[in-house]
Amino acid sequence: MTIEQKLSYYINKASELTGRTFGKKIRIGILCSFTINGLEEAMRVKSAEKNIDCITYVGGYNQYNQEILNHESNVYKFSPDLTFLIVDTRNILGNLFHFPYSISASERRSFVEKKVKEIQNLANAFTSKTKSKLVIANFPLPTYSPHGIFETKTEYGLHKMIEDLNSRLIDSFANSDSIYIYDFNGFVSQYGEDNIFDYKQFLFGDMKISLDYIPYLANDLIGYVVGHLGLSKKCIILDLDNTLWGGIVGEDGFNGIRLGPEPPGNSYLEFQRVLLSLYQRGIILAINSKNNYDEALKVIKEHPYMVLREEHFASIRINWNDKVSNMKEIANELNIGADSMVFFDDDPVNREYMRINMPQILTVDLPQDPSQYAQTIKKMNEFSVLSITDEDAQRGKMYLEQRKRSDLEQSAPDLESFLKNLDLKVLIKNANEFTIPRISQLTLKTNQFNLTTKRYQESDIKKLSEDDRYVVGCAQVTDKFGDNGITGVFIVRKENPKEWFIDTFLLSCRVMGREVEKGILGYIINKAKENEIERIKAQFIPSQKNKPIEEFLPNCGFQKDGDYWIYQSKTQFTIPDFLMVSVE
Amino acid sequence: MSKKLYDLVAKVMNVQSSTINDESGPESIENWTSFKGYVLLYELETEFKVKFTINEAMDVKKIADIKRHLKNHGAILND
Repeated sequence: MTIEQKLSYYINKASELTGRTFGKKIRIGILCSFTINGLEEAMRVKSAEKNIDCITYVGGYNQYNQEILNHESNVYKFSPDLTFLIVDTRNILGNLFHFPYSISASERRSFVEKKVKEIQNLANAFTSKTKSKLVIANFPLPTYSPHGIFETKTEYGLHKMIEDLNSRLIDSFANSDSIYIYDFNGFVSQYGEDNIFDYKQFLFGDMKISLDYIPYLANDLIGYVVGHLGLSKKCIILDLDNTLWGGIVGEDGFNGIRLGPEPPGNSYLEFQRVLLSLYQRGIILAINSKNNYDEALKVIKEHPYMVLREEHFASIRINWNDKVSNMKEIANELNIGADSMVFFDDDPVNREYMRINMPQILTVDLPQDPSQYAQTIKKMNEFSVLSITDEDAQRGKMYLEQRKRSDLEQSAPDLESFLKNLDLKVLIKNANEFTIPRISQLTLKTNQFNLTTKRYQESDIKKLSEDDRYVVGCAQVTDKFGDNGITGVFIVRKENPKEWFIDTFLLSCRVMGREVEKGILGYIINKAKENEIERIKAQFIPSQKNKPIEEFLPNCGFQKDGDYWIYQSKTQFTIPDFLMVSVE
Repeated sequence: MSKKLYDLVAKVMNVQSSTINDESGPESIENWTSFKGYVLLYELETEFKVKFTINEAMDVKKIADIKRHLKNHGAILND
């Protein structure tokens, strides 16, 4: 388990952050019903460690109602991207926290009903006034009850009230893309009520979260920052010996490695189970191991207790090459940035070597004790996402199909015959309730083949799609190996009756290099012609990562015009004949 | 023990350890806010494995007070 620093470390470190420059920026509002000093410092320092400039605003002590209801309040002036609302159980229950049985069960039910409505109203008032996402902490369930062991037999007792309140909060905002519920109750149970809630700190300084645990809370909340900024890690690269199993297969042999239901082999089993659950959520897995290929692969294919099998790995490098060159090859093969990759290796020397040569990769310090591996990965906030789409769940399968495509590509005599053999189909879809989450996700995550790198949250895409002046669409790409899912996005603004402007045009790296972009652009051009548009204007905004799209506009017949590129609709545009483009 | 104590105070208050003595407190250390006072007490509790009572916590006006309370709890002072 990662050892957390003391709060004073964060407080002092935060004061040294001024003047530093960062790659990303986020504005965070914290509205709280109690003293929560130190949280903003811990969040700023933890953000800085991820190269994020975090600017914070902390609302006045117990002023959250006024801050949210008053249009002119400081939180709105601050204009956050992300706001946390943390109200503690004492505060929401008022007198009933101590005296829940001073009223009847039906009165307790009406009380909870009323509180749910109050929070709903507050949340809706907030989101109607600002673009900020709102993260509402749920309510920790105190273990104590005046009814003691009879609590569980009590009709709609204190505990049931809080459980009901929490579950209704989740239901209230289940379909919202701007309001999220943070499982604060889960946080308290993870670290323990007696640790988090220290009576002396509470009675002496109104601190309802023990100071030692504020950095842990910050760690949880940073997950939302990672998700909001689209910085979630996409791929886990794994060593094999002493990482996925105990021992060294080259020395201990197939039967000698430790992997199975007994200790210590069960530590690796447990770790593999966590990895498989992440794979099922859309995290890509890969192997980077110094080993004899056949020997190691035999374990992966045939060992009775391997949880992860060959099909779960999008890329496999088992050889005696340098781990850094292997890593570069994996990044190339999967077409993802090193900054989306996480490396697990039990050997501290390998880790250090990777850190020095590829600092963009997050190299995790695996503990010496393998029984702690599962916990280490579970505590990471780097995989946090604010939405999980159907594409995510299918990702592992898609990469396996990709491996088969690569094999075909290598056996094809040239690129064109490869593409012709692929049976590529591009299905153009409009933005609708099913596609909007994925469209937003692609604008947030796509770096390489992205003309303007404009980032849009779900609520932004929803607004644009409802605006008559915009055409918002996406493309689903399939081929004979399977479905790549929605992998292209375009947003076109109708400037005037004669001109359209391409605000966003992007393609996921998953389908780059197959001329799918020409199919999508051809669709836009044809649609423009149908609407008697004379010119299509576009812009290429260079970023550190979007070089792959640099030549796209000139290659497609756009002419340079100052900072923009213009396509005259009368120009002939040909969609490659190996692409079948259709519209849903 | 004085050194260990002074070092911790210096770390929490973000000042040089050499500027700390038994008479140091909120008056003499500019960075000593009431919140940092709380932080100091809780980090002392972890470092010296003691638990101050709320009365002791409220009684701290200078480093000498902390020393006295630490001694009462049996923390080993080498000076």
